[in-house]
Amino acid sequence: MTAPRKLSRALVACLVATVAVSLAVSRSDRATTRADDTIQHEALFDEASADELEIYDTDREHWSFTPLARPAVPMPADLKDARGAIDCFIAERLAKRDLEPLPEADRVTLIRRLSFDLVGLPPTPDEVDAFVADDSPDAYERLVDRLLASPHYGQRWGQHWLDLARFAETDGFEHDKLRPEAWRYRDWVIDALNADLPYDRFVALQLAGDEVAPDDPQSAIATAFCLSGPDMPDINSQEERRQNLLTEMTATVGSVFMALQVGCAQCHDHKYDPVSQADFYRLRTIFEPAVQVEANKSVFVLHEDSAATKPGHLLVRGDWRRPGAEVKPAFPRILNVHGDQVPPPPEGAATTRRRTALANWLIEDDHPLTSRVMANRVWQHHFGAGLCRTTSDFGIAGEEPSHPELLDWLASDLVNRGWSLKRLHGRIVASAAYRRASRVNRTGLSDDDLAESQAHMAHLLEADPANRSLGRFPRQRLEGEAVRDAMLAAAGALNTRMGGPGIMPPLPKELLETVLADHWKVTPDPAEHDRRSIYVFARRNLRLPILEVFDRPDANASCPRRNRSTTAVQSLLMVNSDFSLTAARKLAGAVLAGSPNDANEQVRLVFRRALSREPEDDERMAAVAFLADQTQLLKDEGRDAGSLARPDPMPDASGESLDVHEAAALVDLCLAVLNSSEFLYVD
Amino acid sequence: MNPWAEIDRVRSQSTKRCHLDRRRFLATAGGGIGMLALASLVADSAGAAEGSSRLANPYAVRPPHFAPRAKRVIWLFMHGGPSQVDLFDPKPQLAKLAGQPLPESFGMVMTRRQVAQNPLLGPVRPFRPRGKSGLPISDFLPYLADCADELCVIRSVHGDSVNHPQSVYQMNTGSILMGKPSMGSWVAYGLGSENQDMPAFVVLPDPGGGLKGGPPAWGCGILPVAYQGVTMRAGTTPILDLAPPSLISQGQQRATIDFLQKLNRRHLHDRDGDDELSARIAAYELAFRMQAAAPELVDTTRETPETLALYGVDQESTREFGQRCLLARRMIENGVRFVQLYSGDTNGWDAHNDVESNHGQLCQRTDKPIAGLLTDLKRRGLLDETLVVWGGEFGRMPMSESGKGRDHNPWGYTVWLAGGGVKGGLAYGATDDVGLRAAENKVHVRDLHATILHLLGLDYQALSVLHNGLEERLTGPDEAHVVDDILA
Repeated sequence: MTAPRKLSRALVACLVATVAVSLAVSRSDRATTRADDTIQHEALFDEASADELEIYDTDREHWSFTPLARPAVPMPADLKDARGAIDCFIAERLAKRDLEPLPEADRVTLIRRLSFDLVGLPPTPDEVDAFVADDSPDAYERLVDRLLASPHYGQRWGQHWLDLARFAETDGFEHDKLRPEAWRYRDWVIDALNADLPYDRFVALQLAGDEVAPDDPQSAIATAFCLSGPDMPDINSQEERRQNLLTEMTATVGSVFMALQVGCAQCHDHKYDPVSQADFYRLRTIFEPAVQVEANKSVFVLHEDSAATKPGHLLVRGDWRRPGAEVKPAFPRILNVHGDQVPPPPEGAATTRRRTALANWLIEDDHPLTSRVMANRVWQHHFGAGLCRTTSDFGIAGEEPSHPELLDWLASDLVNRGWSLKRLHGRIVASAAYRRASRVNRTGLSDDDLAESQAHMAHLLEADPANRSLGRFPRQRLEGEAVRDAMLAAAGALNTRMGGPGIMPPLPKELLETVLADHWKVTPDPAEHDRRSIYVFARRNLRLPILEVFDRPDANASCPRRNRSTTAVQSLLMVNSDFSLTAARKLAGAVLAGSPNDANEQVRLVFRRALSREPEDDERMAAVAFLADQTQLLKDEGRDAGSLARPDPMPDASGESLDVHEAAALVDLCLAVLNSSEFLYVD
Repeated sequence: MNPWAEIDRVRSQSTKRCHLDRRRFLATAGGGIGMLALASLVADSAGAAEGSSRLANPYAVRPPHFAPRAKRVIWLFMHGGPSQVDLFDPKPQLAKLAGQPLPESFGMVMTRRQVAQNPLLGPVRPFRPRGKSGLPISDFLPYLADCADELCVIRSVHGDSVNHPQSVYQMNTGSILMGKPSMGSWVAYGLGSENQDMPAFVVLPDPGGGLKGGPPAWGCGILPVAYQGVTMRAGTTPILDLAPPSLISQGQQRATIDFLQKLNRRHLHDRDGDDELSARIAAYELAFRMQAAAPELVDTTRETPETLALYGVDQESTREFGQRCLLARRMIENGVRFVQLYSGDTNGWDAHNDVESNHGQLCQRTDKPIAGLLTDLKRRGLLDETLVVWGGEFGRMPMSESGKGRDHNPWGYTVWLAGGGVKGGLAYGATDDVGLRAAENKVHVRDLHATILHLLGLDYQALSVLHNGLEERLTGPDEAHVVDDILA
């Protein structure tokens, strides 16, 4: 493509004026700012474009760079168990592979799955009973609605977003200094999700809340997203610091909102994707006026105090000491299907409004990436993997989606229904694909039926080991936060208070010795120690051990998908930590309060509280036998009351048959169940 | 045909051409994107098998890429940045110019505390040739001086940042950014461990705490958390939550775990032998074995008085570091793959005010234990297969600070290696006349990393993980070089 590079100054001035006037108008009118291709190319011309790599049609053909369009819903001959459009897409692929999906999971499995997925907590025994007993046709839908309306929803899904935002409440590096206001951003995310703030607005506020809603201080807080990464306020060159922040922020914005690893282009043109180094610095230039640093002071939100613009520069090999060609603020060319521009600030503007322009561009209805990326992220958290499994890389080196049309359909649906995330969740969890069993449930099956089901399952596992066709629901391990919260919930200890500054539960003293004295001041009120994990103070250089061993990311870079590890150090923590023993003692205390004398009933209560189900007969008998054996073992060891871990609270000893060894054995049973795979995994 | 290889090939050409080639490749490879997708499918199925075996036993021994020269590593990390010009890199010219400003010919110098204009400070203690090799070592290190013929002193190491945490990260992870996998994690990931009752990568932090940059220095980044450094201490609780709580007896715990495993096996049976669930059952057994193995490893009571004295455990000033050096040997001896020891609390070797007093103290604490470690490894026949690494996150400036101190210097400093596969009694590379910048046979931190991996039989290029579409490796995106001249 060759186009005249030079344009008369008058024409540029004219163009600039047009753009300036139209900037202030609403989204629907913004189409008028779109210039035709030639003019666009000229207006974008900057020093760096002279020998910049061009974008070719073959580049634009990559699946995620094509403008979003709503695909038709397929109608395969065999609709399998379809409940809606999602299932039609899935049935099509299953049919192509000649795979038969598993049937719907049982009710108990479904409520446990939905509860952990939507609110991050186990259902209470009463909730399980009510759902199992509810035979009205909309029982499932009402359960979903109730969970989505719960304030716990924002606490659950807020953590997914905070992982992406590499959120922490300290700077990291040597001094790991406190960011005293950072929790306000965490609360903003939770509140926004609970209020179902439309995703387009959610994006715009985090990039440009200060410009978009200047009268609402909450909106400025949203821009903390941009500055939530690590920072070194005491670095000897504040210019280096500012440049690092800008580069990190730009890379994160590209990765989170566009699933484009633009950060790879900071030193040289992107290795795989059609993103030039100039593209990166043009995007970065959008943020330049909003990042101000002061030595030894932490950053929190973006702030601009002038509409005056300065030229941006490309940095040679990414080195801040070597500014190169001048660049103008602009959107990555490969995605800029309409040739939108970053206009100069309108007359009398208080800020450059570059970030507003970026936000408006990102949330255009047919933006190739914004809605695809988010719909895929939401899918990932429901199913454990995205339709495109590289959720933060939709570029050439990323993976192609298993169901590209389904992804496009979901993305269009997100946009068409007002960018409502709750509606998207509703759609997804209503699908037959989501409700499928993850295994063969033996209960109630004849030997023949069981054999047939097992053969079916074996075939699914062999034909599609990675479950890309979604013939079954994938089993998922709880994240660290959900493990901790579920332990507190089962123990009846969870403090559900919302919001406010982060809390610091006690830490093992060996760990405290490794940090500076004022870095972890245990919150004085012990009731606060049992709040949900999202409210635990997020120190960048020190994660709560139970969260760390269960793969909480370190907040040094945006984390699109957590590791899911299984280690001995995890097991040691789960069997030996004070936290585990305390939870087991409280669970035992709650069980004893429900049934002081009946071992069978105690076992039943432990299962219901921790695993959301009744024990099977063989399990109940094994557990009762364990209680008896363990009681005997403790007696044989000659343990007196003071040397035993007892339930909390220990019921009044006046109860004639309550034996302290039996009570201690019950604590061990609780500890075992809290450690069990079934407690840690969701079917 | 391997499309990744194709891309790597074109990558080495000019940038612009690289992009043209990439496009041509995509356009001509018969639906080129399809080829890439195919490659990722193939990688996936290979990855799935690989993933499930890693899951079941993350520490299983894995073959190196080629025959290794060393099997294990002990890394002595001198936190704060020891002074090369006062320990291993004699600079007669610096002694001559002491008191004068840095000659203008050296140009601009970037420093942490703006010391560029300060007068030069001559070497604080004298150097002498040591051992048969005549390798010069200063009087700060009389015990290590006796091991001179084992040392391969690289005098031309250089890094990229004048700040502690960035340099701590770079030395450990290859990147000045926080959060990349550390070398210990990469090695554990690449080779597994010969000890199945212990983690593959063990860190023995300074009990004073306060490492600048903190635990990300031994973090695993994108690698599975099983490969993260596990911190251990001397004493009865060497690992966090290793021992049962005081109110739970060992027999009681075994019974509880037996019941737990019964629950878990039943759960697994109903779930088609799910690998991850099997791995969890295995992890509980490993945890139980660690409870026995770890305290035994750190129990030095059965070492002979002669051995304890060799490490300086019998003396107040050397006891603490000596004990950790001894633990390092015990771990290596028992097949732990990678052990890292830190010397220096939050200030450590950061001799801004007074090199003589700071290094005097820290050398006193570490000199005898380190010499003891080398001697002990050698006489037990372990040194041949063990690589010992000594160094800080950077070195120090030839200019003075506050009169008798020195500021940080990442531009040229010393790291020494000893043992498996390196030439002893050798000084490799050189700084300039005053010890300011690496000048001859320069060794960037990533070259040092590539060399250490090479000694372990690992190709630094091949030891990589695809993440967000990019191959992450210890040495980063830039080219690195194995320092062949130091290989024995």
